[in-house]
Amino acid sequence: MRIAVLLSAGRHSVSGRPAPVPVELQALRLAVDLANQCGGQSGCDVTGLHAGPELGPLADTLGHGLGHLVHLRTEGAADPAPALAAALEAGGYDLILAGRAGQGGEDAGLLPYTLARGLAWPILADAAGLAPGEAPGTLSVEQALGRGARRRLVVRLPALVTVHPAAPPPLPFAFAGLRRGRVEMREAPPAPAVAPEVEERAYRPRPKLIAKAAAGASALERLRAATEAASGGGRLLVDPAPDEAAREILAHLRALGLPTR
Amino acid sequence: MSRPRKDPRAARAAHLVPGGARPRFDLAALPAASGRPRRDPRAEERLALVPGTLRRRLDRAQRAPALAAAAPASAETVDAAPRLRVIAEPAYLVALVPDAPGGRLSAHDRQLFGAARLLADAGGGAVLAFVEQPGEEFGPAGADRVLALPVSGYDPEAKALALNAALAALDLRHVLFPETADGGDLARRLAALSGEPFFAGAESLSPKAVTRAARGRRVEQRRAPPRLISLAPDAVAPHAGTLHEGLPVALAFPQPTGGAIVSAEFIPADPAKVSLAEADFVVSAGNGVSDLEAFRALAAALRATPGASRMLCDAGLMPRAAQVGASGTVLDARVYLALGIAGAPQHLQGVAKCEHVIAVNTDLHAAMIERAGLAIVADAQKVMPALLALLQQERAS
Repeated sequence: MRIAVLLSAGRHSVSGRPAPVPVELQALRLAVDLANQCGGQSGCDVTGLHAGPELGPLADTLGHGLGHLVHLRTEGAADPAPALAAALEAGGYDLILAGRAGQGGEDAGLLPYTLARGLAWPILADAAGLAPGEAPGTLSVEQALGRGARRRLVVRLPALVTVHPAAPPPLPFAFAGLRRGRVEMREAPPAPAVAPEVEERAYRPRPKLIAKAAAGASALERLRAATEAASGGGRLLVDPAPDEAAREILAHLRALGLPTR
Repeated sequence: MSRPRKDPRAARAAHLVPGGARPRFDLAALPAASGRPRRDPRAEERLALVPGTLRRRLDRAQRAPALAAAAPASAETVDAAPRLRVIAEPAYLVALVPDAPGGRLSAHDRQLFGAARLLADAGGGAVLAFVEQPGEEFGPAGADRVLALPVSGYDPEAKALALNAALAALDLRHVLFPETADGGDLARRLAALSGEPFFAGAESLSPKAVTRAARGRRVEQRRAPPRLISLAPDAVAPHAGTLHEGLPVALAFPQPTGGAIVSAEFIPADPAKVSLAEADFVVSAGNGVSDLEAFRALAAALRATPGASRMLCDAGLMPRAAQVGASGTVLDARVYLALGIAGAPQHLQGVAKCEHVIAVNTDLHAAMIERAGLAIVADAQKVMPALLALLQQERAS
């Protein structure tokens, strides 16, 4: 199985300096684990792909278990999608892994979808685990839903899968891996630059909705929403018998709709 | 002395009557108002005088006439509270695709309806909801029209194809999605399929502009609302005030073809394995709990994720990963059951986002008792076995 991992030029979430995107390193780990499971067969490899003007700190991904990194060099603000699509089509991959969204660029998470559309491949979102499927040529994807729930999907390859932050953590950095890995630089054909149609300004955190009452609600409803959020507004039982306390707790949990049995 | 000095010549000049050969002064005329108007205390007193009382009574707050004027207005608002608004001939359509897990609207879905109404009401448009199962809930939530999608099971690609057909056939001005796992996925599929401009994770929305965070939340992008928008949670207030008809409409969708997904199987969360940050229901032990075996059995019986306060983690009785609070995990759980926890400020920070808190503690004045929706002042060591016995008894019967 030939696996490609898409790597983007990210920025560190706190310092803002150029850094690999954490969820893409997690995708790399899933790819390396999957390649190891196919057990030394030939044609089972993992390739990293980056399209951008320079590699920068993405060379560190070699230390996180990547053997071969392809750098498609594009002009400064050029759209990376055509270069990536051409390289993916020519590479003959079975599986493409990408992060859920970038960090430091547009951060919209749209690029994997446009690539999948261009390749006419199926796309699955939010993988937290990958395993080879029972039938040959299939892949079992564990999709992360909210609150720790999962959905197990079996998909026919080739496919593009985006990875969720709930996936296992990246492989630890090893300097020997960084020295062993191979970086291949290719010049990408010139592509038109992305036209910015948005106005940009410094980010200002907006206040979240405080009172949960809606805009057209009456003053009484707004007051109730504002005061109920602050205080528990609840019942107080002082020194009940343990049995009575247990019954009260269980009835309260049932009223909240929890499956306690 | 702060009183302004009088200028007698200027005061006299103010009374000058213009015209005529000789200067003439009308000293009886009031000078033109300058600066502060002059108060008439006697007139104010006459206004404040309450008529019809034996003793002379002054109502300086002027409440009586104000109350008389307010009474009919309040009667009108009572009539107007739940009003059905019918939009028969909409100028345009604003569509939305709620997640509606299990056919019920989530809080995020209701905010989506609020955003759609905001965009539709600005120019006399109507709101169209794309749902999997039509229900009674969508009209009161703010939908004028409801369209059922011909999708069964987990097949987002078929859903995106159906939406793309509707996008072309119905000339929708905007389509709104919730920025959740399924909603965000569907929005991006539709954006790639239709090639329409897409605005991901809008954090504020008005008919004139939408904004979102980009470049690692350092930059705010702003533009006029494009055709496809996904809405971040807690960005727009849900719709309320008017009811809408939720009229079912039909559309001929293209036949779905078989996708690449062979099978889909839902795996519910295992509370014992799920991390505290993701858990839905957390049972936590504090210094008032000494029998940790019973506590673990209780957590397993309630199907809850076990947590602990700093005291127990420091003592090595619970793993550090189970610590709830500022230096441990900040919970996102819906329900939190605190056993023998007094509620230090750092611990309360950890449970700040929990919607429902139940506390069992011996101290009536503990902060956790004040925070809780159901507070029980009792010994947690005695309540735990009673709760376990009750659960076992229910299971046996």
